[in-house]
Amino acid sequence: MSALSDLLDAVVSDVEAVLLFSPSSSHYRQFADADLREDLLVVAPENTVDAETYVELPLEFDNVRDRIRFGIEGALERGLVEAEDVVACSVRIFDGDPDSVVRVQVTESMRSGIYDLFANSRAEPGVIRDVFEVAIELGKKGQKGKPVGALFVVGDAGKVMNKSRPLSYNPFEKSHVHVGDPIVNVMLKEFSRLDGAFVVSDSGKIASAYRYLEPAAEGVDIPKGLGARHMAGAAITRDTNATAIVLSESDGLVRAFKGGGLILEIDPEEY
Amino acid sequence: MIGTEAVATTGSDAAASAPPNGTPVGVVGQMDPGALAGVFDAVPRAVWFAAVVAVAGVLLAFLLGTLTTRVLVRLGVPEAVEGTAFDRAARDFDTSTVHVIGSLVRLFVLGVTFLGVLAIANVTVAAGFWGRTVQFLPQLFFALLILIVGVVVGDKVQLVIGERLTGIKLPEVGVFPRLAKFTVFYIAVLIALSQLGVATLALVVLLAAYLFAVVFLGGLALSDLLTSAAAGSYLLLEQPYAIGDEIEIGDHRGIVQEVNLFVTHIEDDGEEFVVPNSTVFETGVVRVRE
Repeated sequence: MSALSDLLDAVVSDVEAVLLFSPSSSHYRQFADADLREDLLVVAPENTVDAETYVELPLEFDNVRDRIRFGIEGALERGLVEAEDVVACSVRIFDGDPDSVVRVQVTESMRSGIYDLFANSRAEPGVIRDVFEVAIELGKKGQKGKPVGALFVVGDAGKVMNKSRPLSYNPFEKSHVHVGDPIVNVMLKEFSRLDGAFVVSDSGKIASAYRYLEPAAEGVDIPKGLGARHMAGAAITRDTNATAIVLSESDGLVRAFKGGGLILEIDPEEY
Repeated sequence: MIGTEAVATTGSDAAASAPPNGTPVGVVGQMDPGALAGVFDAVPRAVWFAAVVAVAGVLLAFLLGTLTTRVLVRLGVPEAVEGTAFDRAARDFDTSTVHVIGSLVRLFVLGVTFLGVLAIANVTVAAGFWGRTVQFLPQLFFALLILIVGVVVGDKVQLVIGERLTGIKLPEVGVFPRLAKFTVFYIAVLIALSQLGVATLALVVLLAAYLFAVVFLGGLALSDLLTSAAAGSYLLLEQPYAIGDEIEIGDHRGIVQEVNLFVTHIEDDGEEFVVPNSTVFETGVVRVRE
């Protein structure tokens, strides 16, 4: 028995902070009332437990590695932890209550810009998350079983509209559809067969589909081998304050661009 | 008490219906009708009638009670009232709001039946008192029902408004849900009392003054928002300008970034103006087309 507690002691010894990932309120109370020497941080999609220090988790990452990385990056950005700190993360790997404790050494290289993508974009974090979810959904199912590609430009819609031109009539004209509305998944699935980009405003309103983006493409640094869709998406984010979320038709990955660079790459099949 | 009556009657009913089947059997069968008729005559007609009414009433009570419960469940009432204080209290007593209302209906019908039976059987125990009780019973029933509905609705209103306001981290904001709850309670109590015939004029005057204050002051405080919303609904329906258009409202010129019910965001060289939609109607809009 003592050997077992030693095992856990070794994991949690000398940690500067404890990160609770999506704790239940009783679980959180237990920690909060214990009055720990270490800092207590809650990382969750919503602050349901009214924690004092709270880092928003924009996507329910299934992959525990991603979830922890994102949580720590958020804490780093907010100055809640510092590089070279050692933290203990209480996470849930299988269904149910948190079931594991992970010891992580925080390093500067964990700052990948993913947290920045959600927290400091022009568009609201919830909107970016919704667009991600739509793109992931689209990547998983495709259209009628065939893989599809799609390009969403989120935020700074006025400027994006001025740097693009319509390829045909805008199906979203005089409509008030927001990403995150339940009907959107079906609508976008149908419209994804159209060429061109979807333009989404800061508050999540779908301003237009069928847009041909005309940004200046010089100085855009994206990995070689990505096609015209990715190039257009990346370039528009350099010219405007928008974020581009691109679903690749050829490899099925969802990529996010900001400021002309590739920030995040996720595989829809892992969600 | 009524239950025992019912059992007794069903028993004698069965005995009474036995002879027709039994008559062809023989001597014993022929003996029976006379004896039964004796028993039948021994009890006055009115009492038999009362017994039948009692049985029917009890059946109706249970049927209506169960029906009410079922209908309420089918309408989704249990989910709607979940979490309210009344429902939680009911659950502590191992029942639920829906079942409480069901039992109330049952009790009401049973009570009416009981009084009806007494009236038919000509029981003249303080007739005047019973007469008044009979008139009072439906009022009491509805008063109780209104009170329960009022308490449940009030709790629900508090919960819903509270949920809407959770995003606002301000301690004082907790006043609004409670205010709404007590307003609903007050109105429910008022209706219940007037149902019982209690003088409620003073309370009504108080309510009128309170509502007037809410409507008048609320209207005064919200007038800007309301005019903006009215203008915004036109803008959203007609879309004289859309995201990406360059427009000029008053002295603000820029590209439209966002139009919602209350405001229009226009941006110009990193400066974003948030213009109330009412201004759009006051000053008009210039659409800039090169």
